[in-house]
Amino acid sequence: MSHTDTHAHKKASFWRPQDGCHPWVDFMTSVDHKKIGIGYAVGALFFLLLGGAEALIIRLQLMSPENTFIAARTYNQMFTMHGTTMVFLAIMPLSAAFFNYLLPLQIGARDVAFPRMNALSLWTFFFGGILLNMTWFFSDGAPAIGWFAYAPLSGPKYSPGMGANFWILALQVLGIASMVGSFNFITTIINMRAPGMKLMRMPIFTWMTFVTAFLIILSFPAITVALFQLMFDRQFGTHFFNAEMGGKPILWQHLFWVFGHPEVYILILPAMGIVSEILPTFSRRPLFGYPMMVFSGAVIGFLGFTVWSHHMFTTGMGIVATSAFSIMTMLISIPTGVKIFNWIGTMWKGKLSFPLPMLFALGFLWLFMMGGFTGVMHSSVPGDAQQQDSYFVIAHFHYVLIGGALFSLLGGIAFWFPKVTGRMLNERYGKLLFWIMFTGFNLFAFPLHFLGLSGMPRRTHTYKSEMGWDLWNYWSTIGALILGVSILLFVIHVIRSAKRGAPAGSDPWDARTLEWSLPSPTPVYNFAKTPIVHARDQFWANKYGSDAEKAGVANEGPGGIHMPDRSWMPFFTAFGIFVLAAGMVFLNTEMSLFGWVFEHHFQIPIVGALITFAAILGWALEGPGGYHLHPEESQPENES
Amino acid sequence: MRTLRSTISTLKKFMWLPVVLAFTGCSTTLKQSALDPKGPVSQMQYDVMMLTLYVVTGLFIVVGGAMAYTVWRYRLKKGEDPKAIPDQSHGNPLIEVGLIVLSASMLVIIGIPTLKGIAYMKNDPVEEYEGEAIEIIVTGYQWWWNFEYPELGIKTSNEFSIPTGRPVKLVLKAADVIHSFWVPKLAGKTDLIPGQINRMWIEADEPGMYWGQCAEFCGDSHAYMLFRTIALEPAKFDEWVEHQKSAPVEPESTLAHTGKALFTEKGCIGCHMVGKVGGLAGPDLTHFGSRATLAAGWKANTLENLKEWIQYPEKVKPGNLMYLGVGTMAGIKQIREEKGLSDQEVAALADYLHTLK
Repeated sequence: MSHTDTHAHKKASFWRPQDGCHPWVDFMTSVDHKKIGIGYAVGALFFLLLGGAEALIIRLQLMSPENTFIAARTYNQMFTMHGTTMVFLAIMPLSAAFFNYLLPLQIGARDVAFPRMNALSLWTFFFGGILLNMTWFFSDGAPAIGWFAYAPLSGPKYSPGMGANFWILALQVLGIASMVGSFNFITTIINMRAPGMKLMRMPIFTWMTFVTAFLIILSFPAITVALFQLMFDRQFGTHFFNAEMGGKPILWQHLFWVFGHPEVYILILPAMGIVSEILPTFSRRPLFGYPMMVFSGAVIGFLGFTVWSHHMFTTGMGIVATSAFSIMTMLISIPTGVKIFNWIGTMWKGKLSFPLPMLFALGFLWLFMMGGFTGVMHSSVPGDAQQQDSYFVIAHFHYVLIGGALFSLLGGIAFWFPKVTGRMLNERYGKLLFWIMFTGFNLFAFPLHFLGLSGMPRRTHTYKSEMGWDLWNYWSTIGALILGVSILLFVIHVIRSAKRGAPAGSDPWDARTLEWSLPSPTPVYNFAKTPIVHARDQFWANKYGSDAEKAGVANEGPGGIHMPDRSWMPFFTAFGIFVLAAGMVFLNTEMSLFGWVFEHHFQIPIVGALITFAAILGWALEGPGGYHLHPEESQPENES
Repeated sequence: MRTLRSTISTLKKFMWLPVVLAFTGCSTTLKQSALDPKGPVSQMQYDVMMLTLYVVTGLFIVVGGAMAYTVWRYRLKKGEDPKAIPDQSHGNPLIEVGLIVLSASMLVIIGIPTLKGIAYMKNDPVEEYEGEAIEIIVTGYQWWWNFEYPELGIKTSNEFSIPTGRPVKLVLKAADVIHSFWVPKLAGKTDLIPGQINRMWIEADEPGMYWGQCAEFCGDSHAYMLFRTIALEPAKFDEWVEHQKSAPVEPESTLAHTGKALFTEKGCIGCHMVGKVGGLAGPDLTHFGSRATLAAGWKANTLENLKEWIQYPEKVKPGNLMYLGVGTMAGIKQIREEKGLSDQEVAALADYLHTLK
């Protein structure tokens, strides 16, 4: 596909880089949802490896009893950073990569509703990740407070170093990234679907994106408030969580988990969406019970807000509250069960083939089911009194987050890789890595069940040999090493295949949704002609459906496709937010910048706020700009 | 009633032995195993947990089996056309609703014992025991435990005794950050939260030393915050109480006498109570010599370990206040710098502390 381009190559300026600009400038100023999606994926995979390295250090320390590989404090920093990194910098952004890249393609749109805000989301994620990891290089190093940072341990008295400040401010910055992205996706889904794409014709992945975006905008305010309170306790002498002055430590837990439990579904719903795209494709059947799948996803999201205190069953809540949260938690297993039944129903009577994405999807199904069942065990409070804060819980959530979320996301990478790069992942090598990963993961995580039930508490940097935990810890570490190496090799494999893989056609899997109707890699304008949708799995219907189901083509007039200009403003806005947040970390310290020593109060935050303000002003004044494209009349060929 | 219940649970244990062993990796006899209940609370928790385990294992076999069967049966077989279009039906409301009803009924099976269990563990010990219950105030510190028996007027640290066959009501408090009280063989955990009083109860069926550990991350040395619950026959328990009430043993040897003097001179007494004299910031040492462990259950209470603990507490337990000091009270760090702490002095202190049987 080539395109003629009447108004393109207008005069490039520094502020509005045009086609042919330096690749780095292009990357930093792009407002194309596809490039932003790839940016998210690259960042997320980097942080996945970083968090994985932290995990391996944790496992090596636990490999033998009374090990002295790392000190207690270092260990505590490792699990704090491992948890925070994996949740906020690896799994969430990897999901966001899929949202960004696929969402407009699946609904037949040319971009998201607010392309520059999308870029802002990417860059605040990027700077948030940097801010969090800067903590390693400052006094006292990383925070040692755990990823849920329970007050008062995270307060000024018991964590006096700067680590917790970095953690608080970095999470605030990352919260902005998630909120901005979510509003963008919601607006896009509501307003920018192709004609005829009713809500109940949307691909299931788009539906799960929709639900997840709502979970994010409804749950992040809770942690934002909690983080502000903790910041005020630490830096402005308030006593929200200080029991000595009448504060309530338990308040932190409520606020944190009001966010934290929906967060669990923020991590898993996109994964469920991906699996719900892969299974029908390789079964060559439509998703079984689509309306029920949509509804159960929404119900999971809704119930996700009613169960936060099941993370707090041991905090001495009363009988009524404990019982209520226990029952609500059990209820969540119903919509989750519906999903599993319907995935099996999708495969029933299908023609199942097993390329790499399908293996990941089936691996997801199996491992997520195991994690789900231990989740049901946790919902029963008497048993949970023994399981809570033990390695049994570690086993449970690594089954749902690695076996569940990560396997599905890697499957998603394997599935959409040809669409994004125009090349195939090497199947044989990929499958080999999958099986190593699967084995390594189970060897790592299954023994943790035993450890938990035999009394090993989580977050302990060592244990005595007479506890009898040596054997399973040893094998768990071996498993973790296998898992870590195989994930590293998989990431390398993905990077290599992007350059060397065999060329892929536009539709290598004989897939079902609209993104596969486009050439691979996807052209910058996505759809040369906006499709008119007449069926749920529109691209499948185009290939195999009746004439009435085939997509039409919208008549868009002679103006061509409007493409917005690149912009620096999102990057500068994010940079300003970063300076503001970093300045707050260093509040009331003596600073030295390029040899200039000064008493730092609000100088840097004010500079950051000014940069942010100026960038937003510039954003408003520059306007979207842009030019028009006229792709050739011919539609991309369908390989049917 | 109780015998019936325990008979049933014993029977159940044997019935499910193969499953239990497969699931637990034969770990039932370990020191902190939750699968080796030794009291009514942990027994109830064990029973409910096993019920949930059987239900989910059953479901896993059925659902997992259905999945494996589907994958096997509908795989693309040799010679089949990979481009063939199978049946494109997309749902069956009857099956879907049926499965929802089925899963809901599974939840009822685990829901009812769960609710009963919540009431059982959260209410005060049932009426039949009420009169005999004793109360212990448990306070968590970074990183040790204080146990106070208000009715008996005694206090101890890190190792505490309870009588067998009598419910023990625990009043849980925290002095600094959040901790969690967990003796798996007697009961699941309950948190100790600053500014809040939590309650739980435990009971031991048979005498023994039950291992416990802090289960909520509480800072640097969280892993070193262990404790022991020693269940004694009622008569032995009364003896133990009398012993705890007795005055500290006076030292006999010269070394121990020197140690006693050093205990005051070096400032140990500013935080540690011996008899009726001393501070409250650290564990009560009146009967320290009779304890099996030191440093909150982490090390055996031998002379060598004790010397190391006194001289280099930061090596045994990083971040602890015995090294860093509390408020105006100097820690070992400052004592070492200002007053010095020689090997001989440490030996004398250790000898003295070991006479405090």
